Amino acid sequence: MKMPRFKQGNKATGGQRAVTYASSPLLASKTPLWRSRLLVALVGMGFCALLGRAAYIQLISPDFFQKQGELRYAHTLELPASRGQIKDRTGHVLATSVAAPSIWAIPKDMDATAEQKRELAKLLGLSNAELDRKLSASTKFSWLRRQVDNDVAKQVKALGLKGVFQEGEYRRSYPEGEVAAHVVGFTNLEDNGQEGIELAFQRDLQGHDGTRAVLKDRLGRVIEDVGQRTAPRDGREIELSIDSQIQFFAYQRVRDAVAQHKAKAGSAVVIDAQTGEVLALANYPSFDPANRKNLTGNQLRNRAVTDTFEPGSTMKPFIAALAMDSGRVTPSTRIDTGNGTISIGGFTIRDTHAHGNMSVAEVIQKSSNVGTIKMAMQMQPREMYDMFTQIGLGQKPKINFPGAVTGRLRPYKAWRPSDQAAMSYGYAQTASLLQLAHAYTVFARDGELIPVSMQKVTDPVGGTRVFTVQTAQAVRQMLQMAAGNGGTAPKAQTQGYSVGGKTGTARKLEGKVYSTSKYRPWFVGMSPINNPRLIVAVMVDEPSAGMTYGGDVAAPVFSQIVQQSLRLMNVSPDLDVKSQIIAKTQAADAERDDL
Amino acid sequence: MKSLNLLLFVVLMLSALFLVRTSYEARRLFAASERSQNEAARLESDYQRLVAERQAQSTNIRVEKAARERLQMRPISPAVTQIVQSSTVAASRGGVRP
Repeated sequence: MKMPRFKQGNKATGGQRAVTYASSPLLASKTPLWRSRLLVALVGMGFCALLGRAAYIQLISPDFFQKQGELRYAHTLELPASRGQIKDRTGHVLATSVAAPSIWAIPKDMDATAEQKRELAKLLGLSNAELDRKLSASTKFSWLRRQVDNDVAKQVKALGLKGVFQEGEYRRSYPEGEVAAHVVGFTNLEDNGQEGIELAFQRDLQGHDGTRAVLKDRLGRVIEDVGQRTAPRDGREIELSIDSQIQFFAYQRVRDAVAQHKAKAGSAVVIDAQTGEVLALANYPSFDPANRKNLTGNQLRNRAVTDTFEPGSTMKPFIAALAMDSGRVTPSTRIDTGNGTISIGGFTIRDTHAHGNMSVAEVIQKSSNVGTIKMAMQMQPREMYDMFTQIGLGQKPKINFPGAVTGRLRPYKAWRPSDQAAMSYGYAQTASLLQLAHAYTVFARDGELIPVSMQKVTDPVGGTRVFTVQTAQAVRQMLQMAAGNGGTAPKAQTQGYSVGGKTGTARKLEGKVYSTSKYRPWFVGMSPINNPRLIVAVMVDEPSAGMTYGGDVAAPVFSQIVQQSLRLMNVSPDLDVKSQIIAKTQAADAERDDL
Repeated sequence: MKSLNLLLFVVLMLSALFLVRTSYEARRLFAASERSQNEAARLESDYQRLVAERQAQSTNIRVEKAARERLQMRPISPAVTQIVQSSTVAASRGGVRP
């Protein structure tokens, strides 16, 4: 009813009211049906397309989006494994890993004020310029300081700087410091062994990191474990043959001797004669493995193992032993050394003094070059060569330690008579201090050579026989004479323990000629002499404070090391000592009853 | 039939709510265990560090210096050592020879 009226009204009031749309001619025409159908069809198709797409994403090919989703919430965390500890034979830690966070930054995210930056630089031990340089090196990532102390890391965290982060890392700590530096070695920033035991046992010490897959929420918190977890495998613990107390004594004595004689360097090797274990291996100058700034090769060198020199007089007992073993001489056989000179192949060799006619034992005691040459020249070169090879000269030491050198021993076919003579008193061949100490195990072990080891030995060791028992015992008596009054090294004697050993003093080679002012004195010996427990070799390089002979420079060091070490090892003295205490026999008896 | 449906609906709702609560609780406990594990790892590494520090404080060098300078001690020698000889001790311990 209204419509007609409206229409009428329109007609009546046309022009006065604005609502004129009803009279639009567009409305007058009838909407065709297909249009609405088309629209419905289009919307329907739109829905179908969406449905299809949804089905495609969710059912047919969900991988891509699932992967993208996972990237956003699933993470694989690394579970760090720790590097194995290195311990000495008593369980004393020589190297261990401690947490040492590394500080890094995203420089473009940093908004620290100049004051805050100064504070950060101070905490990290950097100058302001250094910090700025590190921050300007890259906009995305920059290490500020690797492996800082835990306390420093806490303070840096407390600063609360934006764009500064910490990464959990481990650093090696070496409680014994410079004392055992050459033995233990050190690792680099990536925790890989670079020197010493750290390098030799890298594979065992190294741990294997584990992994763990987790879901994180939008704040980065771990909310769930997914998938498998691989547990980290920590590195194996290495137990060395070193005794840290003996190591300390050896290091201390070598250091003192180097200072006293104004020498360039010094080394000492202590071997347990019963097991072949290396109880101490000390070198001076040394370094602090935790602080390796301004390190020189001079400090780094493990001289006892890597430096070779002509073993000199310390070879003479081996020649005497070979001569006795082959039945050519007995300890009492007389040898005429005449006026103390001998000419071989155009070379003249002299003794320090003319000793005239003396026994084989005295040849060793007085360290006569002429007497030794006379024994050696009765032998075939091959015999001497075989013996040298058997005691490990010219052979790579079978010890798991980096840098152990072979030394030089020329094949016997190339020897001239003068070479053979020179080798009998220890020239024209080279060996390291470790090789020398090792070779002396044949005398300490009644003629058997036993392998040396840097790791603790629990089983009894078997050796290879080089000399007969009688020969080895006879040589030990000669060594005792050499270290006794009238020998070359009376200063090797100790209080309470019988010792035997041989000095050596070699002039150093300068280019192709022997120096007249640079010497290398050393001493190799054992104690107690009847049933040796220790073999100690000491070498001092270029003493320049007057004394240059092995008997004066190296023998006193030997004496101190032997005395302290045997006491530490609870070996009772085999010599009578004038006691300074009043024996409380009653108390001792009571104690004996208790046991 | 209608009441059974209603009952089932209520049971469904309760079960759903319970599920929500359980998973919330599971996450909370997981977070707590995670925190404890991190704490344990931190304490363990602290322990290792302190052991190393203690050892660095008790090295032979330090002990020797303190003994000599602060406590006026001197190295012992066989002259001031009394050896107790006992064949049974030697046999059982193996290391000490009479």
